[in-house]
Amino acid sequence: MRLLVCFFAIGLALWAQEDVAPARGGGGRGGRGGRGGGRGGESTREFLGLGPAPDAAAAKKGEPLYKQNCATCHGDNARGAQGPNLVRSVVVLHDEKGEEIGPVIKNGRPQGGMPGFPNLSADDINNIGQYLHLQVELAANRGTYGQTYSAVRSQVSGDPKKGETFFNANCKSCHSATGDLAKIGARYAQPSAMQSRMLWPTTPGPQHVTVTTASGQKIAGTVRTLNDFDVAVVDASGAYHSWRRGDVKVDTEDKLAGHRALLPKYTDDDIHNLAAYLVTLK
Amino acid sequence: MKTLATLLLAAGALGAQGLDMNALTLFKQPKDVWPTYNGDYSGRRFSELDQIRQDNVDLLKIEWMYRVPVGPQRGVGGPSIKSTPLLVGGVLYFTIPDHIFAINARTGEHIWQYDFEDKGGHLVGQRGVGMYRDWLYFETPDGWFISLNAKDGKERWRKKIADEKLQYFTTMAPLVVKNHIIVGVGGDAMDVQGYLESRDPETGELQWRWYTTPQKKGDPGSETWPNEESMKHGGGMTWMPGTYDPDLNLIYWGTGNANPVFAGQARKGSNLYTACIVALNPDTGKLAWYFQVSPHDTHDWDNVETPVLFDATIDGRPRKLLAQGTRAGWFFVLDRTDGKNLVSKPFSGTGNWALGVDAKGQPIPNPAKEPKVDGSMIDMPAMGATNWPPPSYDPQTELFYLNGQLAYGMAYLYDTSDKPEGYGGGGGGNFDNRSALLAMDVRTGAVRWKHEIAAGGPGGGGMSGGILTTAGKLLFTGDSGHLAAFDPANGKILWDQRLPGAVSNGPSTWLLDGKQYLIVGAGDTLYALTLAGKK
Repeated sequence: MRLLVCFFAIGLALWAQEDVAPARGGGGRGGRGGRGGGRGGESTREFLGLGPAPDAAAAKKGEPLYKQNCATCHGDNARGAQGPNLVRSVVVLHDEKGEEIGPVIKNGRPQGGMPGFPNLSADDINNIGQYLHLQVELAANRGTYGQTYSAVRSQVSGDPKKGETFFNANCKSCHSATGDLAKIGARYAQPSAMQSRMLWPTTPGPQHVTVTTASGQKIAGTVRTLNDFDVAVVDASGAYHSWRRGDVKVDTEDKLAGHRALLPKYTDDDIHNLAAYLVTLK
Repeated sequence: MKTLATLLLAAGALGAQGLDMNALTLFKQPKDVWPTYNGDYSGRRFSELDQIRQDNVDLLKIEWMYRVPVGPQRGVGGPSIKSTPLLVGGVLYFTIPDHIFAINARTGEHIWQYDFEDKGGHLVGQRGVGMYRDWLYFETPDGWFISLNAKDGKERWRKKIADEKLQYFTTMAPLVVKNHIIVGVGGDAMDVQGYLESRDPETGELQWRWYTTPQKKGDPGSETWPNEESMKHGGGMTWMPGTYDPDLNLIYWGTGNANPVFAGQARKGSNLYTACIVALNPDTGKLAWYFQVSPHDTHDWDNVETPVLFDATIDGRPRKLLAQGTRAGWFFVLDRTDGKNLVSKPFSGTGNWALGVDAKGQPIPNPAKEPKVDGSMIDMPAMGATNWPPPSYDPQTELFYLNGQLAYGMAYLYDTSDKPEGYGGGGGGNFDNRSALLAMDVRTGAVRWKHEIAAGGPGGGGMSGGILTTAGKLLFTGDSGHLAAFDPANGKILWDQRLPGAVSNGPSTWLLDGKQYLIVGAGDTLYALTLAGKK
């Protein structure tokens, strides 16, 4: 069970970070949108057509070289200072293995006031190039955001005291801080993931319905399919039943009624306070 | 004229015929042609055909189907038909990313296909080809603009219109206006500048380029950006085909969200002309007017949904109008001669990301609802209330239809630095998400009726694809893996056909050999439906 909870937490964290389309409906996201994150953003990179991943080891060696030789003009993380932003640089974006970046570092751009760095070795230049590619990757590849911004995503600004008051007034009829939600704060790596789940649990378990047929027969079961055209359920004995939707009456159990009712009522402060309170339950 | 008539007659027999350019009209395309993405220039996606009607729609059946012979595509999985096929001379021309297909409209028989090998870009969608006389025009994922011979799919020439290394990608169906092939671009992973181009139909040479953001300080709109760096990296993509009024000689285009996408702190201001409806002169690319839907957008709400043109009488006066149902969750009606606003009204939630509207009718964004580190909630889906799938305006009901989403969403800021890049944040959660087909009154913006689906279980569902309305008093769209016909007056479902996949494009219709066909794409397969027993 612990494992399962962890899995959901990770899934949700990615969901919140990735610009993913809702699972169904709406006709897709069209010209935009990321796909799932995947480890280190591999699948997002493939989707975006970003080309080969930066060489992390080379980028690591390139970082001190960059800081020492380039940061004064191009900024601490290459986003520009008095010199141009290199994350948005056409030279950098066209470069793959130093073939574009290399000559500029070596010879400089005298007309633009950039000196050359003839003393840097081919290795140094390659490492600086990979450091720059990594900076591009961290901006362009949304699949890496989860890792990059994990500290930011863990910030909580709410007031736990006020959150507790809100909890007692609005949540207590279904939940308990010492019962089902005991240690909820320890179950999530990121409060933002817990906050999403608190607002709308995406895995409330099987959906139960009662179907009333034209003859008045009632069949209760777990939903297999429910849409404008069809309803199919599996009853307690494991038997499968299906009808045309228009031929029967379907009563759906609403496990999320409480959550649904709160959505239009929350202020952003309520949400942040409630999250701040729940993370204290450890 | 005589030659033209002979040509049209000859088109009765199968064979790639050139497009008679007179078929490109504002409201009345010939019945046996679908010559441009939206059928006509208006984008209404209303057909005057009424052979298929409410009283015989039960007889509608699949006549043929065509499955594209292409496997999974990079980063997106199985191919999805998002293009609307052109029908010219009895031949259908449609696309998926990297591929064009020409098939016999009567039988679904494969005539030719064109395969392209991209070197980058996103394969998220391809909306179709444009046609000018004998030539087709196509955009590849990595920014090539290609002209082909419609007869055999042989390439004539290719021109580079966007640099995929800067994370541009191109998916649009080119819009043909007189001797202009209008092409747009996409891409907001890195912070680049949006633009729209006009190209010569014979040579592909650039006629004009209009940037969606100002080029330098002092240019119109530059007062809405803090500096040149921000405007030259400010986004505003043009990835959906626009519409055109030949009488006013204006093209209408929606522009995408500003960049960096969620982190707006280094681009304070309204960021013109991102997230706008713009009217341009197609001969010069000069801006005639604009209306900004999501000023200083920080929610990834591309405003590229079709700007639909229609005429209606308002307060006893005939008016030339434009309506758009936007990803930002608001419905707008404008006078298309000058962009003056008649209706601004939220259709998904209460529009609580805005404080209200300004004197021009444009929403005023609420700073408190910009993305925050621990999230700010809006009472509409984080990813937007609708998207690119084509909406429809039915002049018989005077209602505007779209497939939308109702939900609550959160917007998060990740990159809090003074120099954010790329997305810099994200939209999270579609809480209590409900999919709905909405019918809006164009005079008031009120939702006249709403078909909200009650779905559940692993087989679930939702509205999908675009919308077609017809004089047969039918509205066709996708619903939970079915193609469905609704009564456009009240939203009642009249007919449905189960398909193996969800409807993924905008349905279209035309008449061939006196028989009305309904054409729809669902996943990797195109379906043609006709009335059973109709010879």
